[in-house]
Amino acid sequence: MSEEILRVENLHTAFKTSAGEVKAVDGVSFSVNRGEVLGIAGESGSGKSTAMLSVMGLTGENSKVSADNISFMGESLSSENIKSLRGGKISMIFQDPMTSLNPVLSAGYQLEEILRRHHWKGNVRERVAEMMTKVGIVPAEERMRHYPHEFSGGQRQRLMIAMSILCDPELLIADEPTTALDVTVQAQILGLLREIREASGMSMILITHDLGVIAGEADRVIVMYGGRIMEEGTAQEIFKSPMHPYTRGLLRSVPKPDAPRERLIPIEGQPPDLLNPPEGCPFVKRCSEAMKICLHRKPEESCLSDTHRYSCWKREKE
Amino acid sequence: MMLEVDGLTKYFDTPSGRVHSVDGVSFTLEKGETLGLVGESGCGKSTTARTVIRLYEPDDGRIIFGGHDITHITQREMLPFRRRMQMIFQDPYASLNPRMTAGEIIREPMTIHNIPKDEHSDRVHNLLHLVGLNSEQAGRYPHEFSGGQRQRIGIARALAAEPEMIICDEPISALDVSIQAQIVNMLEDLQKSLGLTYLFIAHDLSMVRHISTRVAVMYLGSIVETAPSDELYTRPLHPYTVSLLSSVPIPDPSAKRNIIPLKGEIPSAINPPAGCKFHTRCPVAKPECSRLSPKLEDKGSGHFCACPFV
Repeated sequence: MSEEILRVENLHTAFKTSAGEVKAVDGVSFSVNRGEVLGIAGESGSGKSTAMLSVMGLTGENSKVSADNISFMGESLSSENIKSLRGGKISMIFQDPMTSLNPVLSAGYQLEEILRRHHWKGNVRERVAEMMTKVGIVPAEERMRHYPHEFSGGQRQRLMIAMSILCDPELLIADEPTTALDVTVQAQILGLLREIREASGMSMILITHDLGVIAGEADRVIVMYGGRIMEEGTAQEIFKSPMHPYTRGLLRSVPKPDAPRERLIPIEGQPPDLLNPPEGCPFVKRCSEAMKICLHRKPEESCLSDTHRYSCWKREKE
Repeated sequence: MMLEVDGLTKYFDTPSGRVHSVDGVSFTLEKGETLGLVGESGCGKSTTARTVIRLYEPDDGRIIFGGHDITHITQREMLPFRRRMQMIFQDPYASLNPRMTAGEIIREPMTIHNIPKDEHSDRVHNLLHLVGLNSEQAGRYPHEFSGGQRQRIGIARALAAEPEMIICDEPISALDVSIQAQIVNMLEDLQKSLGLTYLFIAHDLSMVRHISTRVAVMYLGSIVETAPSDELYTRPLHPYTVSLLSSVPIPDPSAKRNIIPLKGEIPSAINPPAGCKFHTRCPVAKPECSRLSPKLEDKGSGHFCACPFV
């Protein structure tokens, strides 16, 4: 049995807005094992980023977060103890490295600050140089003095990665880490993250809308829509035998590697309106297989294997 | 022949020097086909498109549209050509005027191009239907629509002038995966029913393969390879194209991948490397590559490549 690093049970996150309450995350449960990459796929508004920000205690004042249980390495997380873990044992990288770095502080200063914040025992400067070298920003001693605008987009994302692994995290949450990057740079960054994981045994949650990136990196995959988990399984289960109509729809809407010219099959309709979510399944309005019950009752989960589960009233046929 | 671009050059003078954004780009576009233009940020694909449509003044080269040389004609002389070539932009949030209704946005090109006023309402109605929206939505403002719907409005506006060619500059990059397929299918249907010609710019290489008849690959302001779509993706020749395609993620966890990484960072377009601009990052560069300036050579089957060693 592999060791569980993070466990989240029945997470709910709502935001108060002038137009009413938005239920961004609506009853989400998952876990991450040591050394594993959990991919979270979903579109804008699916709640994938909000779920992670909720775990990290970063959702802001207009939010209301509740869960039956959030525990990290066996210890229950509270708004107090998350502060000492954040940036240390649990760290996060974001999509846009330019807005995540302070433009008026040198790269070296920003990295050193993290080590000081987490009471790093060794030589702070040496550690920063070591990590900058590890992510390929060399010569580190010189580059430390540079400001964010003096780095290219790919280098800034490398800086963010250096920053996130300074304190040897157990879990790295990467929220669309390569979305703003070109494919060749994306390949470099994903490769770098893979090297780091292999060397340290770090676990990773990879949030992305790019199914190709998920297929290449994730061991297990969660597919989210309208604040709920639609399907969860190993990468093989999700890509080879998807069960949920939404997962199937997503996979059909991108060009097939073996038949790239074949007409695409889109998911019709518009993304969900979180202010007025359907009473039943969030996907009901766009689902080609929707039944009456889907409108009024949230689907129950079906388990197909120890790892594969999905939420749909349409049960497996045959 | 819809469009012929020959030796197109566009540079920008900045305080730190001259940026060679587009450096001698040549390509042709047949009526009814889709040319995909790919390459990484800063390679000059958008600048090429904007220079072709004369949003930027070309510094060298020629642009022949429908048999007319439009390289240096005045903006007034350009007006009738603008009607024939329209553009769709990446960001459906930034490219629509938030103070105009969808109907007004679509109607505006009709006023500019002197389409009789009594036809406007009918045309707006038809265009909305053509892009999968309905007439009741004409009175709504952009913020009342989702991203995909806004892109539909952008497309309806481009179609309002009844163009022959549309430049699609990253038309789906800002949209969700499930919505991208809706827009791509619609662009394909419109192309068939209206006989449109597309110049399609995108960084999603599998979508470009899907929609394009031919594809041109740009690196640092120059086209390094061009070929019919399937030919380019199954038999890439230029080392840059090979590397670029090897980096494309495949939505299949058991796919065997052999990523050929590129060394270092993309060089500055202010001081591009001498000789072949790609030689500083090329996995198979030879010493002479820093001296040779390779031109596109015919490699057969409509395949042209600017590398003498492949």
